[in-house]
Amino acid sequence: MPLHMTRRALLTTAMAAGATGALGRLAHAQVKTLNVLCHRVHQANLTTGAAGNVIKPWEDKNDAQISWTTLDSNPLQDRLFREASLSETDFNVGYVIDNRMTSQIASLFEPLDDLRKAEPIEDFDDIAEGLRQSMTVGGKLVGVPVRHATQGLFYNEELLQEAGISAPPNTLEELVEQAKKLTFTSRSGTPVVGMILASDLAVFPVMFARAFGGDFIDKQFKVVPDPEAMEKGLSVLADLFKAGALPRSYATTRNDDMVTWMQQGRAAFAVLPFARYAQLNNKEQSTAPGKIKAIEFPGSKTLSSGHEMHPVVESWAMAIPANSTDKKLSWSYIRFVASKAATLDMARNGNGPVRTSTYAEPSFAGSLPQAKVEAAALAKARPAFPAFPEAARAQSTFLEEVQLAVLGRKSPKEAVAAIVDRVKPLMPA
Amino acid sequence: MAFGSEASVGHRGEGAAEAAGETKRRRFAFSPAYLYATPVHLLVLGIIVLPAIFVLWLSFEASSFGQSATFVGFDNYIRVLTDPYFWGSVWNTVLVVAVAVHIELLLGLGLALLFASGLPLQRVMLVVVLAPYAISEVTAVAMWRFLFDPDVGPITLMLRYTGLPTLDWTFIPSHGLILVGLLTIWLHLPFTFIILYAARLAVPKELYEAGRTDGANAFQLFRNITLPLLAPAMLIALLFRYIFAFRLFSEVWLLTQGGPARTTEVVSVYLYQEGFRYNSFGTAAATAWMMVVISLLLATGYVWRLRKESMANAF
Repeated sequence: MPLHMTRRALLTTAMAAGATGALGRLAHAQVKTLNVLCHRVHQANLTTGAAGNVIKPWEDKNDAQISWTTLDSNPLQDRLFREASLSETDFNVGYVIDNRMTSQIASLFEPLDDLRKAEPIEDFDDIAEGLRQSMTVGGKLVGVPVRHATQGLFYNEELLQEAGISAPPNTLEELVEQAKKLTFTSRSGTPVVGMILASDLAVFPVMFARAFGGDFIDKQFKVVPDPEAMEKGLSVLADLFKAGALPRSYATTRNDDMVTWMQQGRAAFAVLPFARYAQLNNKEQSTAPGKIKAIEFPGSKTLSSGHEMHPVVESWAMAIPANSTDKKLSWSYIRFVASKAATLDMARNGNGPVRTSTYAEPSFAGSLPQAKVEAAALAKARPAFPAFPEAARAQSTFLEEVQLAVLGRKSPKEAVAAIVDRVKPLMPA
Repeated sequence: MAFGSEASVGHRGEGAAEAAGETKRRRFAFSPAYLYATPVHLLVLGIIVLPAIFVLWLSFEASSFGQSATFVGFDNYIRVLTDPYFWGSVWNTVLVVAVAVHIELLLGLGLALLFASGLPLQRVMLVVVLAPYAISEVTAVAMWRFLFDPDVGPITLMLRYTGLPTLDWTFIPSHGLILVGLLTIWLHLPFTFIILYAARLAVPKELYEAGRTDGANAFQLFRNITLPLLAPAMLIALLFRYIFAFRLFSEVWLLTQGGPARTTEVVSVYLYQEGFRYNSFGTAAATAWMMVVISLLLATGYVWRLRKESMANAF
């Protein structure tokens, strides 16, 4: 059937199509896009969970939509720094880990002091001081802390009871004893190891060294300030491995494996961030929902009263690449996310809150049994090591020696001596 | 005679000049073929040549994030060449590659001959043999990691149950390398097999019939007909596999990440660590160029042998 169209109809149709296109463009122009480069967990904490979509009010108010690009931690840092090194980037906000913010990296990001002066963040001093300090480089604020992961000791209460242990350990010595006792086959027939630890992060050996008052690199960039304490920490790990209380696959165990082992009831203890509580007790994933509990990591009984066990904390901060556009919109996003209300809502969605006041909120503290313990741990927590240009290489060198000591290929004394020898030349002048 | 000779020389000279001019005109004459080939050349230039030149430039610079590149001459090459971990990774790579590639060749040849001799359910068997090539490396490594898990892996448990020694790959470095080698062989055997199988099918049946008529036994047929005719294909398979295998990365990275304590590290993992973990782009670029040189050296021997054989066949 032939199509009949008059000139008038054709003209009208063309005008209508043009107007529709123009309206579309107009509508598109009104909605601003904020490109955020972060970890999946940051997006999830802002958009899903008990508190719902936390960022929606900000999007509505600013006629903006967020375009999320999420990557795993190391690739994320790599991509962000690459983007920030270009002449211009589309990413408006990027999430940075505290121990990556060296002076060179800080130069890639916008100093936030002027923006903060013009439009302040609500009660900024409420954000934990240590976290703010890690984002202040050369006296300039370059990132606003948004999430912390403070390490605690998780234990499977069911397995403890099965082994006749009535309470979790109070000292490191008790922890070792219980971990060895808990290396058994559970009633369900599952072979259980006393403890599961990842071997690719400095966090874990540092926790064991700190249990004796030692450290890997202190704030003054001193490498292994107390070699004897580090030796003791490594000796404990080597002893656990020898006794089978650490799995045979220790050298290939990663962070996510720890969660899986705990959820499957294959490990009795794990050192993990407190924020993992919900995941470990998730009814759909865990074989012991509600039975995996957290306490502060215990120090050694030999730790003198003047020394505290400082758990390791890692934090994330929001930063604006210096080469990005629309910094006003980026700052508006950061201010909103860093507000008290958003921090509380994100915490209810599973985020480690950076504000001390959040832990005092009854709606948060009441719903999460580990909140009080986490607040106490955060108060004395310190990063595993400070940020410096060769930090990643120093961490790898440290882990290499730790693995050799734990697997029994070197004595802890030799490993500690090697750590000092090999890491010292990497320190900033 | 002399004139004639000169004239003929002059004539030949003019003819040669004309021919040369014609060749030159032909050489520089515009042809649509150049236009058609341009996108490919631009693509190769853009994604291979220019990045390679950039990496070469980078290998002479000290460079990291937030720091402008500064010329350091051969410093990066010296740093890499004096790093014992680099040589450890080269040794691991050569060991795994040499063993895996040659085992692949033997198995590939055996399978090709088996298939050529006729197998029941040949099509199904062909799919079974080729299947690993269709699986992504990440999936394959995850699968093998589970199968050989030292605590709950089905193969580990089966070996333990039958009293056979297990692969303690998370603890003993040599076991880690053995597992990487086994996985590499499993993943890439189809490549070698398909090349050799195709070459074997191309061998005329008449040659075997003639051999049998002359009283040759199976080994003699293999030694005097199959092997010489498959040799070029075997060399091609070896050459490609050497070059591909030298870039071995995902198997090691996903299984052991080069551990425990960097004892199973291969060159690609060393490069990755320098570039993406330590953000030391200069040393990573220098490592990359050294990998290219080592690959070329490995390939040169085979290419030379291949060329020699084809020239011999041509005359």
